[in-house]
Amino acid sequence: MIFAFYFYPMLQALLMSFQSGAGTNLTFVGLDNYKRLFTDPTFIATVTNTFIYLIVQVPVMIILALFISVLLNDPKLKFKGFFRTAIFLPCVTSLVAYSVIFKYLFSNNGLINTMLMKVALIGEPIQWLTDPFWAKMTIIIAITWRWTGYNMIFYLSALQNIDNSIYEAAKIDGASAFQQFFRITVPMLRPIILFTSITSTIGTLQLFDEVVNITKGGPGNATMSLSQYIYNLSFKYTPDFGYAATVSYAIVILIVIFSIIQFKVAGDRNG
Amino acid sequence: MRKMVAALLVSVMFLSACGSNAGNGNNAGEGKEAKEISVWAWDPNFNIKALELAKETYAKENADLKVNVIENAQADIIQKLNTGLSSGTTKGLPNIVLIEDYRAQSFLQAYPDSFYEMTGKYKTEDFAEYKIAPTSLDGKNYGLPFDTGVSGMYVRTDYLKDAGYTTEDLQDIDWNQYIEIGKKVKEKTGKKMITLDPNDLGFIRMMIQSSGAWYTKDDGVTPDVAENEALKVAFESYKAMIDADIVAPNSDWSQFLAAFNSGEVATVPTGNWITPSVKAEASQSGKWAVVPQPTLPGVANSVHASNLGGSSWYVLNVPGKEQAADFLAKTFGSNKELYQKFITEIGAMGTYKPAAGGEAYQVKDEFFGGQNIIGDFAKWSEQIPQINYGLHTYAIEDVIIVAMQDFLNGKEITKVLQDAQKQAEAQLK
Repeated sequence: MIFAFYFYPMLQALLMSFQSGAGTNLTFVGLDNYKRLFTDPTFIATVTNTFIYLIVQVPVMIILALFISVLLNDPKLKFKGFFRTAIFLPCVTSLVAYSVIFKYLFSNNGLINTMLMKVALIGEPIQWLTDPFWAKMTIIIAITWRWTGYNMIFYLSALQNIDNSIYEAAKIDGASAFQQFFRITVPMLRPIILFTSITSTIGTLQLFDEVVNITKGGPGNATMSLSQYIYNLSFKYTPDFGYAATVSYAIVILIVIFSIIQFKVAGDRNG
Repeated sequence: MRKMVAALLVSVMFLSACGSNAGNGNNAGEGKEAKEISVWAWDPNFNIKALELAKETYAKENADLKVNVIENAQADIIQKLNTGLSSGTTKGLPNIVLIEDYRAQSFLQAYPDSFYEMTGKYKTEDFAEYKIAPTSLDGKNYGLPFDTGVSGMYVRTDYLKDAGYTTEDLQDIDWNQYIEIGKKVKEKTGKKMITLDPNDLGFIRMMIQSSGAWYTKDDGVTPDVAENEALKVAFESYKAMIDADIVAPNSDWSQFLAAFNSGEVATVPTGNWITPSVKAEASQSGKWAVVPQPTLPGVANSVHASNLGGSSWYVLNVPGKEQAADFLAKTFGSNKELYQKFITEIGAMGTYKPAAGGEAYQVKDEFFGGQNIIGDFAKWSEQIPQINYGLHTYAIEDVIIVAMQDFLNGKEITKVLQDAQKQAEAQLK
């Protein structure tokens, strides 16, 4: 059964990635599709976009989630349940629904621009969705909003497993809150940080809903993600399922490479 | 736990196997005489309503056939058709489907033998010429032309008046003159002249088709970008508009509608299918008029007529195809009265020429200051240059969108188009 449901489609896709043509007129082209990847400006643009998302968004989100979870784990904090729920809530909302709301918040005459103009931070509305730089920012803000709470939950549960006596001992030794955080909390959470950064990386490489719904990949290809490119190749353009399969395999390869790097960077000392 | 999951999976497989068997049985039973056909289309206010009217008309003489009209978003239809046709199983696909003209060739050529030939089922000379190329392949007709995307320019007469113009001044202009008028309008009223979405170059498509050009050569496959004079001029006009600061950017359809419903912009050059959306803002009644589309400055064969969007009906090569073709031929293919109803009840214009003589085409519209806009559109649609949209409109357009961004950022035009040409060639192997 595992063969039928997992390996068979994977093999089929691999075979398909060596073929090219419109719709059902597929012919074997060997490695041509893979060569084409490296000269395809759209593919390169989507990979670049994805890397920008990765480099900016994943660290920001991980640090933010870590920070919030430590704050929320403070035993003296009141309304803990309320704050936890508020921050976790974004990740139970529907991807499409929140994307559509973000689109309206960030539109030219949307709430964000109106507010920024009211407090006189900006003189003219920011082109959040139609300027290449700001469009990327919008996507980054959106995915950070959606996924920070999700990662926070992992940290919270891990924090609760750290014995409080360790902190008490540190306090007696005279460690500041800052030292406690970097010398105790972060090392203790290392496996969880590894886990969340790998899942976030995979998530970013598969990014689709937000980009499609907020900016449609534009302006130009400024925000297009790899997954959206696959969709376009299969359904928006003259269908070329072979090349689309090749791009899918490119994602698989990227995910494998990233996971190995992250294991090496974060995992080794632990293991 | 594991056993339970396994049991569940097995039962799901078993059930689905039963389900598909039952489906096969049904199909086999249908044979030649189908009692039921299904139609997929998008847009409830336009295509779906037109189908309902056609269904009523057909039912008067052919009560035996049940026609199921199913509404899907256009993107869903494309996706389902692609998945269905490429998997080789036609189960679950409809008998009739609406396909946008720009995409028609990619379906006809990518899935040979999947569509039923319509040659001889209707008179091609009855339909606007520019609709025949996209619906045919190798000299055979596959689609039945339906709605026209004939374009015109919707203008706010009150803003124009404030700037010292009448609709007469806009009758015979090119895009350069349009920009000059736009600057004046902006100066006097503070309103922008036009709203554009940087991700949707429909506007450019409309401009180049007015001179009989497209992104590809006549064969529909070879990219025609670097040497394309019409495209070059369209690019320059587009940038001139942005530089003149007469453009209000929008990023999606609802913002596009809001731009003119809220009175933010003075003109809307687009397809005639926008009429219901313009009229949706009843408070602006009497303030609008429609004038012919401007021409591309300096391009010799550019005319005051073009097309944007538009779609046609296709019959899939599945059981029930004869009935489906018969349904189309007797309604959309030949019924003059039905087309009058489309105009009066939905405001939808077909491309069936004999219908233009009918009463509905003479009606004056108070919303447009008493102008007979349907008649005007019908007149312009006869002048639209015929084009082979080919296979790759949207693939090339994504290249062009990026090229446009480069051009707006100051890259030199010849270089922009040459690079786009190279990329399009690499993309379309």
